[in-house]
Amino acid sequence: MSQLIKVSHLYKNYGKHHILKDIDFHVNNNEVVVIIGPSGAGKSTLLRALNRLDAPTSGSVIINGLDIAKKDVNINKVRENVGMVFQHFNLFNNLTVAQNIMLAPVELKKQTKKEAEANAHRLLKLVGLDDKFNYKIPQLSGGQQQRIAIARALAMNPKLMLFDEPTSALDPEMVADVLDVMKKLAKEGMTMVVVTHEMGFAKEVADRIVFVDDGKILEEGTPDHMFNHPTNPRLKTFLNKVLQA
Amino acid sequence: MKKRFWKWALGSLIAIISFSCLSLMGNQNSVKAAGEPTYQIGTDVTFPPFEFANSQNKYVGIDIDILNAIAKDQGFKVNIKPTSFNGAIQATQSGQLDGMIAGMSITPQRKATFDFSKPYFESGVVTAVKPGSDIKSLNQLRGKKVAVKTGTEGAEYADKIKNKYGFKVTTFDQSNDMYQDVMTGNSAACFDDSPVMQYGIKQGLKLKIITKPAMSGPYGFAVDKGKNKVLLTKFNNGLAHIKKTGEYQKIVDKYLNGKGGTPMGEDNSFFGLIKQNKTVLFNGLMETLWLTIVSIFFATLFGLIFGLLGVLPNKFCQGVSTTVIYIFRGLPLLVLALFIYTGIPSLTGTKVPAFVAGVITLMFNEGAYIAAFTKGGIQSVDTGQMEAARSLGLPFGKAMRKIILPQGIRLIIPSFVNQLIITLKDTSILSVIGILELTQTGKIIIARNLQGFKVWTIVAIMYLIIITVLTWISNWIKRSYKL
Repeated sequence: MSQLIKVSHLYKNYGKHHILKDIDFHVNNNEVVVIIGPSGAGKSTLLRALNRLDAPTSGSVIINGLDIAKKDVNINKVRENVGMVFQHFNLFNNLTVAQNIMLAPVELKKQTKKEAEANAHRLLKLVGLDDKFNYKIPQLSGGQQQRIAIARALAMNPKLMLFDEPTSALDPEMVADVLDVMKKLAKEGMTMVVVTHEMGFAKEVADRIVFVDDGKILEEGTPDHMFNHPTNPRLKTFLNKVLQA
Repeated sequence: MKKRFWKWALGSLIAIISFSCLSLMGNQNSVKAAGEPTYQIGTDVTFPPFEFANSQNKYVGIDIDILNAIAKDQGFKVNIKPTSFNGAIQATQSGQLDGMIAGMSITPQRKATFDFSKPYFESGVVTAVKPGSDIKSLNQLRGKKVAVKTGTEGAEYADKIKNKYGFKVTTFDQSNDMYQDVMTGNSAACFDDSPVMQYGIKQGLKLKIITKPAMSGPYGFAVDKGKNKVLLTKFNNGLAHIKKTGEYQKIVDKYLNGKGGTPMGEDNSFFGLIKQNKTVLFNGLMETLWLTIVSIFFATLFGLIFGLLGVLPNKFCQGVSTTVIYIFRGLPLLVLALFIYTGIPSLTGTKVPAFVAGVITLMFNEGAYIAAFTKGGIQSVDTGQMEAARSLGLPFGKAMRKIILPQGIRLIIPSFVNQLIITLKDTSILSVIGILELTQTGKIIIARNLQGFKVWTIVAIMYLIIITVLTWISNWIKRSYKL
């Protein structure tokens, strides 16, 4: 299996705060990696380093063969292949559902308007919302918005999808719809890195789980290893807390 | 990449600056190109009988008629620029004007900065009080207030004797305001040149003169020191000639002894004033609207450019934006207007037409406000919108144009309409540099007929009507965009 992501000695500081400390991390093609850990551990920062929404302080972040930690890399080209889904959806409020999905492929000349439209219909069907094609964003529920955000990210046909706590801002009854879409993607072989507190999802879908605390990767392994035979004491405490809740 | 966005911002900036330069140069050329000598002469507009607009709103008066007679006699042309006394002084010193004639007394102090013609009129300062007042001499002014007009002989006289007689001095920019202050009883007396006061009383001004002319002072035509010698010589030659032919005496008699050029018989009722002045008031209103439209156009460009600079991810651009907003929002509009109109010609030697100076003033001032709320509006768009756009691979400029600006602009539309209304009102301040907009029109009408209260009421109603219409439009925009 070839590596799509290879992170070495990644550091990230915000002023005097050291958010990430010497992270080594990789993701293979078609792999689903779930990042777990307490809040403030640096999970989101690690994820956002993978498309340089947070620029690394030092270290290398090689995505598809290109080190995006280097300033001379055309980051826009790299991002075209890396879809991202945010905790708060971040759908473009000034555009309709269809325009949200079609904007990037048409603006970046990946698809003609006609192709993009057909593609938008296909993706909306995939997330189960084709009837919302011409809706405005405020007319949709949170769960619907997040599924459309996934469709928007998929519209660029990315090689890799990043999910930053995609269900944390949702009402409980909406969570399942979004997770179902993500499971469907995983089954189709999409390479995914997911930051989440949904342990059920991690157990069921992840090929590998990475536990991050205090800016470091403390343990990683298969779901079976992580949930049934954890070795790191901090991971044990963390799992006790989340699984009891 | 950011490059495209940069190019766009820079291009607009260059366009706006070059436009300003072009319009300045264009004007200069037109002045130089005129083959016959045409002199720009400044005057006060509110100093009857020496200079005032008659009921047909033509500038007349002793000064104007003498100047025109001399110009005709000596074969040159004059373009009368009615500003204010102080405005004319500054504009003459800065080279905006070639000379000034404004009932200006020749004093040693003024001789330091001006070259004067031979005296063309002898005047003196008199004291006037309300008809019912028991003040009969200067001695009775102790502890009271005396109204004067800035920059006049009366003001200097008051300054000289205020300690001796123990009164306080209140200064005004307009003659009518000074008279009004005495008539309402705020000030016990006012000092003014005797012909001015005589003329005013003849027009029905409710004041009486209680002293003989003091500090007799000769009036002279003035040019900036060391400049325009030719013009000064022509004036002196012409003056000597029209005195010889008797034309000079005819002019003086017309204003001080006869009835010619007086606005007696005007209908000074509220509707009479409207009827009589409807054309000039309408022209003033049009000038106000035109000034507003041109200014808001450039102010919007200016504001958008500096507002957008402030949201670029670049420390230098943000610094430039913050500084520009700080400076132009911090300066009082009046100071900025006078600085641009009189300061820039002093620095560069280039004349700035009042209208252009006015537009530049408003562009900077209103533009700074527009820049501030543009910046704020864009910054208040959720950062997640930019992150989402960038995460899809859209370059910064494209993300700005397609996602951030449409949302930011929506947020700033109400502030923008508000700024438009403020700009309309702020044009009134430009009356100080002599732009004939609605407020200046009002001042000129009042200088002639001394009907301050009624004329200001008419002017105020005209402003209110326009602002009401703008407010309706603004509410309609807010409703239709569901802002």
